[in-house]
Amino acid sequence: MQSNQARRWQKSLDGAGFIRQIWRSRRWYGADWWFVAASAVLLLVFLYAALFPQTIAPYDPEAEVGPAFLPPRQAPVDIVIVARAADNVKSLLDLGGDNDAIGIVAGGQSSTALRDRENEINAGRATPIRPDISRYDTMDEMLAALAKGEIKAAIGNPAEITPLLSKYAGTAIAGPLKESSGQGFALGTDELGHDELSRLIWGTRIALVVGLSSALVAALLGVPLGLASGFAGGWPDRWLTLLMDSLYSFPGLILAIAIAAVLGPGIGNVIVAIAVLYIPTYYRVVRGQTLAIKQELFIEAAQSLGANRFTILLRYVFPNTISSIVVLFSVNVADAILTEAGLSFLGLGLPPNVPDWGIALSRGQQYIRSAWWLITYPGILIMLVTLGFSVLGESLSEIFNPRLNRV
Amino acid sequence: MANLVQETALTQHTTRDLLLQVRDLTVTYQTRNGSLNAIEHLNFDMYRGEVLGLVGESGSGKSTLGKALLRMILPPGSISAGQILFDGKNILQFSAEQMRDIRGRQISMIFQDPMTSLNPVQRLDDHIIEAIRVHEPQVSRQEALKRAQELVSRLGIEPRRLNDYPHQLSGGMRQRIMIGLALALKAKLIIADEPTTSLDVIVEAQFLDLLRELKDEYGLTILLISHNIGIVAELADRVAVMYAGQIVEVSDSDQVFHNPLHPYTDGLMKSIPNISLEAEHQTLYRMEGSPPNLINPPSGCRFNPRCPHMMPEICPIKVPPLTLIPTQPSSEHQAACWLHIPHDKPE
Amino acid sequence: MAEQSEYPLVELRNVTKHFPVARGFMESLSGQPPKVVHAVEDVSFQIQRGEVFGLAGESGSGKTTTGRLAIHLLKPTSGEVIFNGINLETLSESDMRRMRRQMQAIFQDPFASMNPRMTLGEGIGHGLKIQKLENSAAAIEQRVKEILDHVGLTPAEAYYNRYPHQISGGQRQRAVIARALVLHPDFIMADEPIAMADVSVRSVLLDLMIRLKQEFNLTYLFITHDLATAKYICDRIAIMYLGKIVEIGTIHDVYQNPQHPYTEALLAAVPVPDPRHKRAKPIPAGEIPNPINPPSGCRFHPRCPIAQEVCKHEVPQLRLAPTGGDNLAACHLRTGDYQQLDPTVPTAFHI
Repeated sequence: MQSNQARRWQKSLDGAGFIRQIWRSRRWYGADWWFVAASAVLLLVFLYAALFPQTIAPYDPEAEVGPAFLPPRQAPVDIVIVARAADNVKSLLDLGGDNDAIGIVAGGQSSTALRDRENEINAGRATPIRPDISRYDTMDEMLAALAKGEIKAAIGNPAEITPLLSKYAGTAIAGPLKESSGQGFALGTDELGHDELSRLIWGTRIALVVGLSSALVAALLGVPLGLASGFAGGWPDRWLTLLMDSLYSFPGLILAIAIAAVLGPGIGNVIVAIAVLYIPTYYRVVRGQTLAIKQELFIEAAQSLGANRFTILLRYVFPNTISSIVVLFSVNVADAILTEAGLSFLGLGLPPNVPDWGIALSRGQQYIRSAWWLITYPGILIMLVTLGFSVLGESLSEIFNPRLNRV
Repeated sequence: MANLVQETALTQHTTRDLLLQVRDLTVTYQTRNGSLNAIEHLNFDMYRGEVLGLVGESGSGKSTLGKALLRMILPPGSISAGQILFDGKNILQFSAEQMRDIRGRQISMIFQDPMTSLNPVQRLDDHIIEAIRVHEPQVSRQEALKRAQELVSRLGIEPRRLNDYPHQLSGGMRQRIMIGLALALKAKLIIADEPTTSLDVIVEAQFLDLLRELKDEYGLTILLISHNIGIVAELADRVAVMYAGQIVEVSDSDQVFHNPLHPYTDGLMKSIPNISLEAEHQTLYRMEGSPPNLINPPSGCRFNPRCPHMMPEICPIKVPPLTLIPTQPSSEHQAACWLHIPHDKPE
Repeated sequence: MAEQSEYPLVELRNVTKHFPVARGFMESLSGQPPKVVHAVEDVSFQIQRGEVFGLAGESGSGKTTTGRLAIHLLKPTSGEVIFNGINLETLSESDMRRMRRQMQAIFQDPFASMNPRMTLGEGIGHGLKIQKLENSAAAIEQRVKEILDHVGLTPAEAYYNRYPHQISGGQRQRAVIARALVLHPDFIMADEPIAMADVSVRSVLLDLMIRLKQEFNLTYLFITHDLATAKYICDRIAIMYLGKIVEIGTIHDVYQNPQHPYTEALLAAVPVPDPRHKRAKPIPAGEIPNPINPPSGCRFHPRCPIAQEVCKHEVPQLRLAPTGGDNLAACHLRTGDYQQLDPTVPTAFHI
């Protein structure tokens, strides 16, 4: 029963086109085909994100849309102003005087909120307000100072501050520092108050552009070189191999750093730096395959048909290297995205305001203790896109390897 | 039903010393197009001191059988049914430890490429001394070396070559060393899987001559697996013919070659060029078609689509069991063919 | 088809082929001259139009190299290969490529000799395209389907779009034969064409080759290690040992009246598919030596049961057998000047 079906598939695969072959071959994988499908879907999602980021990104990736360091899915807190009832303080506008010291607890969102509000007010004014800031280590110290009159007002998170107010007579919540936007951000915000999700979605474009084009440039150079060198042999082959091997023997990232440092930052230069890195991988694999295929009987058969060297290389050698090139390509795309991230991480890649996974990682690393989400989500995305390309590459090579399809 | 017929056929030779009984052996491989039985319900016996030739084309399952006897079938394949009684014990129930003993001492395997079974970094003397001391650990190295030298001289190799590494020997010498190891181990059964296929015709003839002499000298029991019918004719006492995972005919060598009962055997024998015939231009029999795909084998007798004597009322419908054919000159001629097995005509 | 002419279709004149042995870096510094494998040494023979010429020997005998030399897939180190009266050495590369239409090859392993990435139709039709014998794709397809019918791959439509891995071994060898025949060559070099095929398929392939030879007016160079097969298909045969022809003649003369001791040994060693057959002659000990350092004089002398002192020093020439047959053998004692040297020399044995 089962075997009959197997034969039907085999039969229906004869004479099917390229796309139909992929579609039909899903059955060969038995329970595993969904794995391939999942990676293909994943890559399609990434591709969509790269092509049309504006349709799914909720915010402009370069706009400061919220407070800094807002954890994922947490609504921004309303920071409140606390003052002595006697002082009749209503808002920040009442605290612009020379002796109007404002207390904040070091760290946390208060200081950024204060700065944001201050900028907001000053934007439309000829004479900017310059509140005097005093920093305290704890909420209690700050409120004690307020009660004594050392500072005129204190700002902080109402949830933390309200329970303490009863201890310090005369202090009360005077009003909000700034009205919050009310909603949170799916993946939180970064240190500048950018929406992390929007930055990651826009970053897909850079990742795929860099990954695909550097792998493509490397393949376009490495494959013909490997083919020609392996097929021709002799001293050009020896010298080229020596050159490629010496390139290959450099630790990858260090070579990329060196090239990127010479070329300077910029997306084109990053692509070139990474492509140079991968040329030897294509060269080595394709040359090795060419050397092996050159010995095959069907090459001799082609010679006896009267084929010239170019025809043999193009029609007999090259098609038999494609499956390994496809695998190599997908692995290289994944690897290139990592390398690009590494370069940007080191400041040798793209300008820092560009929404890019590598830059996001490198910045997030500074805040790893307080803002875990800044490093986690770009990491997951890099992993997913890498996985998607690798799985797809492996599967394609298996589907299109005619020798494996034998019964 | 069929099994009963076979049992009576197979239990006839109680007078001779049975070494190996294979019963209902099935080896299944899982492929991505479905599962296939490389060997299906195989039954045969081997007696001490005989050479049983196992003949078949590629894909007939003959090499799988050789591996199955040592339980060396690797995934995705497995022995899915049957018994292998070696010296009366079913080795399919043996522990890994017991199997190591079987593989290392009792059954020796000789492959087409002997390099695969010789340790490339060990000299030949070490190989043979090790083998000798497996059985007699008390033998000193000196004594074992002396015996090793005698052994290789008997095999037609100069004793000084014992200092060589396997790669320094020619293919023919390596195969001799493999036989030597089996002798040193005093193996009860030697499975030779295409032992001469990588050898040239003159070296092959030398090796076969040696094997024939040793067989008489030491009373070796050899399962000779080969696609080369010529070398089986030279060496085998009995011959089993395999087709598409099944044994289709077994008898003594002379009967299989001169009185084949199964149409496949018959066609095979008539399609081989024979150099010894007087006729200048022999006419070869042309067997149409090719061996079936085991994922989807023909129903009934697996040879029926190629068979010139196919009887449509039974052959494509019912599997012929390997049955003793009593009317033959040999008392033990078995065939799996409805031409020779009495049967009722199905409606 | 081919116009009748006086000269043979293929002729090898004193052809020698040496292959350099690959050396390590240190060895190349040592200053010693590079070692060479004497694959083929001073081989001459002629293949007449319409005959099946066999070339037999063990591995290392140089028979495969000789086959490659005969269709100029390898260039000889010295000597001449003459095809249809033309010395192939004198042709330019592009002329040689055009010439290839007339000489085709069938190799031992049909699977390895087909491009796994080409369908049978593409693979077989590619020769037509390369040789510019047909211009339109439709015409090529038409020719390919015709030839598929000829070699028994019917219906042709069912095979045209298949890949080599999708058909059986016997069918693959038919496809390889089709690829050679589609160019309508005069000469086919067949290197062990049935060695990889299943036993039950071999006779079918052999008969196919015989049928096609008549249909297409072919001349075969049939290379084999199996003298039984050679007996079945060949008209004449040359026996090679270590790069040299030791005996050459019609099948009848060589098999019934072998002159060279090596030919005798080879004939005796062929396994006979008959348990009643007993070998008439002992097999000489030893194995074919390394062709890097072939023995002096007659290359067979270290293994020869009748070798004399002269055999170690003088290279024997091919000479006519004294028995009246047409076979030539290169043996001092049987066909040379030293025939009378030892009256105890055994006479040629009969199978």
